[in-house]
Amino acid sequence: MDAFIHTFFDIGEMLKVFPTLLTEGLKNTLFIAVLAALLGLVIGMVLAMMLLSRSWFLKFPARLYVDIFRGLPAILTISLVGLGLPAADIRPFGRSPIGYAVLAVALISAAYCAEIFRSGIQSVNDGQMQAGRSLGMTYLQTMRKIVVPQGVRNVLPALTNRFIIDIKESSLVYLLGLTVGQRELYFIAHQQQAISYNSSALVAAGICYLMMTVPLTYLVNAWDRRLREGRRSLKLKPATRLSEV
Amino acid sequence: MATTSMQRPDMSLTDGAAIRLRDIRKSFGSIEVLKGVSLDIAPQEVVCIIGPSGSGKSTLLKCINLLQPPSSGTIIVNGVELTAPKADVNKARSTVGMVFQHFNLFPHVDILQNVAMALTTVKRMPKREAERIARMQLERLELGALIHKRPADISGGQQQRVAIARALAMEPEVMLFDEATSALDPELVKGVLDVMKELAHSGMTMVVVTHEMGFAREVADRVVFMDDGVIAEQGVAREVLTAPRSPRLQEFLSQVL
Ligand SMILES: Nc1ncnc2c1ncn2[C@@H]1O[C@H](COP(=O)(O)OP(=O)(O)OP(=O)(O)O)[C@@H](O)[C@H]1O
Ligand SMILES: [Mg+2]
Repeated sequence: MDAFIHTFFDIGEMLKVFPTLLTEGLKNTLFIAVLAALLGLVIGMVLAMMLLSRSWFLKFPARLYVDIFRGLPAILTISLVGLGLPAADIRPFGRSPIGYAVLAVALISAAYCAEIFRSGIQSVNDGQMQAGRSLGMTYLQTMRKIVVPQGVRNVLPALTNRFIIDIKESSLVYLLGLTVGQRELYFIAHQQQAISYNSSALVAAGICYLMMTVPLTYLVNAWDRRLREGRRSLKLKPATRLSEV
Repeated sequence: MATTSMQRPDMSLTDGAAIRLRDIRKSFGSIEVLKGVSLDIAPQEVVCIIGPSGSGKSTLLKCINLLQPPSSGTIIVNGVELTAPKADVNKARSTVGMVFQHFNLFPHVDILQNVAMALTTVKRMPKREAERIARMQLERLELGALIHKRPADISGGQQQRVAIARALAMEPEVMLFDEATSALDPELVKGVLDVMKELAHSGMTMVVVTHEMGFAREVADRVVFMDDGVIAEQGVAREVLTAPRSPRLQEFLSQVL
């Protein structure tokens, strides 16, 4: 029992890494996750539009992309992008691995965001598109001003869930060999553990992840509940009863 | 030369008719829903379309502004042939207002923006100008007090009148109504029908799909009875409704009256 506590909960070991975790790791983890998530949202929205298009030329490549990046293990995609691209002399981000790390996580995130957006947009009543078009708005104008804002609102919980996964997946970029200053939470803990043969640093990093992911999880649940209740109370009102079906 | 002249309104195309439908056919998959419908509607005319459920009334109405492109046939609205390959459908649609059974207001913006949105996006009006016109239109329909509410927070009758205001703000030359009152609670129907009557008296060209036979008798210049994808009978409202000739219309009227 003592060995267990010593291995995982050695306060001294934890205190040794906490400053680095908080000043360097947290910052870099959030940098990778937030940037990747934003990029993923943008690419994902474009992909969703392509998936919803009637044109085979737009739909097929998007479908292919989504199926591939959702189907591969994240660690494989990150290796392909972060180790593969520079090795093939494709170096949009020079030698710094952090750019490749962001890109890799973003490419994965985009595939999931595309499906989330697609389902959100498809959940919007067809009458909304008809109303927009009947006023003379183009397909894209109606999408941008009417359908997408409603669709996105319906999938905010799912998108936040995806962001939680982005945070966790950012740990996989450790295999790109980050240098001091670029290290994210896991990498710092991993290095410390390799030195001390003690897992308390990993537990410390875990606590940092949980501080971000657990509140977000509760936010998602609350959000989801509110959206659900909002929809239900609308249904009960006679005025909108039929427009909701 | 042909393409540019097609864009310009040319009322001689239709001998002055506001809407001309010629042999409209529409199939969904292998099911033919419209089986050759031809109809001319004069400017300022009010035409009511009646008929049993599934007879193709909504589909025909949606063909007029190409929300449902017909499988074949010719549609000319306000002198513009919409079925021509190069027709500017968006521009033509902005001159045809449509009111839906389920209102289809935009739930994510307030009433004022519901009305102003198409003015800024389609007519490219500055926001202030669009909002001024939207406000005026809403006040005209006695909805001025609701402009900052969301659609979900007003009654169905009010929602439908907002939908009418939204269409009218575009200054359409033709208005299409698809069972505008059939989703409303009975006590809210009259308010919407009153607005439609007023609109008819002001000289608007209207095509009204309705189950309100009282409205048809009182307001319509002409009643068109659709059955199984064709126009089975049509004529002056009073005659069609009181002295139907075809057995199908007799049967239909005996059921709804
Ligand atoms: N988008 C669609 N896809 C497939 N079938 C359709 C579609 N829209 C309409 N239909 C079919 O076309 C037929 C005519 O429909 P339509 O809505 O025009 O009838 P309607 O006369 O308006 O009936 P109601 O009085 O019930 O509104 C129906 O059988 C319907 O199932
Ligand atoms: Mg219908």
